[in-house]
Amino acid sequence: MTIALAPPLPVRTRLVVPLVVIAATMVLWEIAVRATRTQGLVPLPSGIGASGLVLTTSGVIFEAMAGSLKRVAIGFAIGAAIGIPMGLAVGTLRPLERSLRPVLDSLRSIAPIAWIPMAILWLGVRGNAALFVVSYAATFPFIVSASQAVRMVDRRLVDAARALGASPWTVLRAVLMPSTLPMLFTGARIALAFAWGSIIAAELAIGIKIAGQGRNVAGIGQLMVETLYVKRDVDALVFYMLAIGVVSLAIDAGLRHLQRRLLPWDRR
Amino acid sequence: MNALVELRHLSKTYTSARTGDAVEALADIDFTVQRGEFLAIVGPSGCGKSTLLSLVAGFSTPTRGEALFEGARITGPGPERGVMFQDYALFPWRTVHGNVVFGPWSRGVAPTTRNERARELIAMVGLTGFEQRYPHELSGGMRQRCALARMLANDPVLWLMDEPLAAVDLQTRIILQDELLRLWGDERSATERPTVMFVTHGIDEAVLLADRVLVLGRRPGRIKAVVEVSLGRPRARLRTSPEVARLVEQLWTLIRDEAAQAIIEETQ
Repeated sequence: MTIALAPPLPVRTRLVVPLVVIAATMVLWEIAVRATRTQGLVPLPSGIGASGLVLTTSGVIFEAMAGSLKRVAIGFAIGAAIGIPMGLAVGTLRPLERSLRPVLDSLRSIAPIAWIPMAILWLGVRGNAALFVVSYAATFPFIVSASQAVRMVDRRLVDAARALGASPWTVLRAVLMPSTLPMLFTGARIALAFAWGSIIAAELAIGIKIAGQGRNVAGIGQLMVETLYVKRDVDALVFYMLAIGVVSLAIDAGLRHLQRRLLPWDRR
Repeated sequence: MNALVELRHLSKTYTSARTGDAVEALADIDFTVQRGEFLAIVGPSGCGKSTLLSLVAGFSTPTRGEALFEGARITGPGPERGVMFQDYALFPWRTVHGNVVFGPWSRGVAPTTRNERARELIAMVGLTGFEQRYPHELSGGMRQRCALARMLANDPVLWLMDEPLAAVDLQTRIILQDELLRLWGDERSATERPTVMFVTHGIDEAVLLADRVLVLGRRPGRIKAVVEVSLGRPRARLRTSPEVARLVEQLWTLIRDEAAQAIIEETQ
């Protein structure tokens, strides 16, 4: 159902109008900050641009992003390796579900970043603490989606396959596995979003100590701590925030695209 | 004619998932399905029509008595007994071709043979050109044809059909009824035809298609009557015959009171 309120605008207008609005906002913002002399507390649009240029041309931002993304990737893989089998088991076996659910629910309700002090205590600040937190954050979406995926398998599709002569192995491979894929994929998207959110928090909490030590590449969070306490550069901080947002969007867009490519039959 | 399916004092009791009570779905069904006959099964809701079919398909086991197929006790599903489900139960992740080829594929038939057979069947049900479509891209009638082709790919001796035309509109249903009869072999001699057990809500549909109509009563499901359909074949041109109307009336008289009762109980 579509309700036509006005004829569609020409493409030129549709592109130009928002750009003009954004540019005007930037200019007004710049003027306001300079007029009130709040530079250093409130970022300047021109300053964000300048920081962005410096940080991208020097490669600092990419190195930090790569450091964080590497931990996210490893944590995501660990989360999948633990969460998917566990979720499948919990979803399949009723007694296991009944005994594990309270434990899982209470663990799940502890925010991953609340584990940071314990993680630092156990694993130190050299990067493994952050990895622990990220893996922890990624595990639960996998458990939840895998156990739901199993429970949502359409019983009749299993019957249909068996009536067509499929062996138990074929049923597993050709019915149960594809049945659970869309839900698992959705779980993976949530897990990655959680992992990316908690890596920043973990790196912020762990702080700058390891930044210069060379053993582990500092992540984006550590760079932000350094920028805040050492450099006091509000423009760079905001640039990092924008970069974090862009990476989140890119990751989710990439996964959505992959989901459409790999599961063209899934209409969600 | 000889017996293909023998139901001997078959009873089925199951525990209701909703109330936890024991429900007697079928009680003491004693009946023989002849080789090559088209048997329609009718009765009010809750008469155990679908339960009966799933026992013959081998999806569930009887509480008492036994079901025999070609003289051997049915212990599980098998490709010689094809099943067509009420709401298609097509594999959503497989294309039309992928669905039709599933039976031969899972039984290990050689690729060239099974692909050739799938092509034939897809042409036979009028889906040529739609081989690469996914089920969600098809209309209800097309899904039904696809499900029919999928069942036929195994060349089953027995067709078990659970209200296969219930979910399509009236015009499509009439067309599919004629096509079903043609595929079954309405114009051939009785010895060349497969055997059909066809569950339906439509009394007129039962009369139009079947050689015999098995009327079940409800609570518990039991045999109420067996009505011979004394119409000649092919049936396509007999839709408007007065004999059809007479048989429909006769069957409706048998079912009416219990059907009304079923409506009252279901609304409570």
